[in-house]
Amino acid sequence: MSWVAPALTIAGKDLRLELRTRDVVASVGLFVLLVVVMASFSFPTTGEGRDAVAAGVLWMAFMFAALLGMGRSMAIEKEDACMDGLLTSPAPRESIFLGKLAANLAFTGVVELVILPVFVVLLRLAPTGGVPLLVLATALGTLGLVTVGTLFSAMAVNTRGREAILPLLVMPVSIPVMIAAVKVTQAAFAGGAGEGTAAWVLLMVAYDALFLLVAIATFPYVTEG
Amino acid sequence: MSTETLPALDEGLADVRPTARAPYRRLLGGATIALFAVLIPMALLWAPMDAKQGNPQRIFYIHVPAAWIGFLAFFVVFVGSIGVLRTGKRRWDDIASSSAEIGTIFTTAVLITGPLWGRPVWGVYWTWDPRLTSYLLLWLIYVSYLVLRGYVPEPSRRARYSAVLGIVGFLDVPIVYLSTRWWRSEHPTQFVFERGGLPTAMLITLLIGIATFTVFYAYLMTVRVRTGRMQEALDEEVFA
Repeated sequence: MSWVAPALTIAGKDLRLELRTRDVVASVGLFVLLVVVMASFSFPTTGEGRDAVAAGVLWMAFMFAALLGMGRSMAIEKEDACMDGLLTSPAPRESIFLGKLAANLAFTGVVELVILPVFVVLLRLAPTGGVPLLVLATALGTLGLVTVGTLFSAMAVNTRGREAILPLLVMPVSIPVMIAAVKVTQAAFAGGAGEGTAAWVLLMVAYDALFLLVAIATFPYVTEG
Repeated sequence: MSTETLPALDEGLADVRPTARAPYRRLLGGATIALFAVLIPMALLWAPMDAKQGNPQRIFYIHVPAAWIGFLAFFVVFVGSIGVLRTGKRRWDDIASSSAEIGTIFTTAVLITGPLWGRPVWGVYWTWDPRLTSYLLLWLIYVSYLVLRGYVPEPSRRARYSAVLGIVGFLDVPIVYLSTRWWRSEHPTQFVFERGGLPTAMLITLLIGIATFTVFYAYLMTVRVRTGRMQEALDEEVFA
């Protein structure tokens, strides 16, 4: 298909840039580690209800990571009119969106992969039976968050508020997928799928699919003029 | 602005001036006043006092209609937003943004009247019931829509950006409701809403309330859309 190759090229450009500068992953990774450490001081990390607290803290950290990474990734396109270059290229608008989405998923995913084991050790969690579920929750939750975030970051970067406005746009709309991700993560920390976990997973799948379609359909209007 | 531009400005605004005839707007305004004049005595005096909740129950006659307008206005934002993206016409943006502003006022009213009723009847101002939670999120999406508009000075870009948020936000609301419902499914807070058959007098008062608020919303829309048009005409004349 004609939009796959340009999308991969755009994602490749972002990844190459990141490999050479290590801007996003280093700063965001350290920031997220700090969030986790701060949260460990503030919340009870032992006893009853710990799984719920841990899941909430983890997703707050993931959300911050995604927001920071996506804001930075779109700010790069704004510098030196990079986005104008992309728009005048023959790449379809859908490819630009999918390319940026893929790069944002990669950045957020790397940070999450690094932070997850550290988090599990620091909070002395034992998700022995729940590891596949944990990975599933992380993947589906991140996809939903980053899909909405990539669309909105293309808008936020062209406003007077710049990156400051991105959380205001992303957070209210991403609440359902975040609730679902926290619920499934909580089940994973508790040892595995429980009653209702399948419904939450389905909700994430539906959310991701719906907003992926909406984002692809509306992204061309965001980049116009 | 030099004095020479003033006559041109005058002509351009002729059709949207306050003196321009708009019988339907006057009619809607008059109907709103008349309906409120009927609704208020009905809600306060005519409708019977609730046996369990007492007089605080009467807040229901403005709370529920305001909540209905919150959803209706958001649907209008959605339709207007699709119009913006399909046609690129500023008319649609006037409709969507006006509806969002008015909807924000009504959702705010819902979030204020709800706790005022909740405190005497439930004993708490707030509970994380699915309806309350999703209504709070609806309000947050409305507010972020208006904040976004404030951050984009350029009209056509502002229209497109807020349209994207209007569409995403509207589609999000049913998912929010579903997720908050499952999230709190272990708490039996739903029972308070299951009032079964409503006495006829209460039902009639509620329906009058819904009619009143719908006409009020329509009136506010005509005023707000017209103000938007005047702003637009002014922008064109001044910055042309």
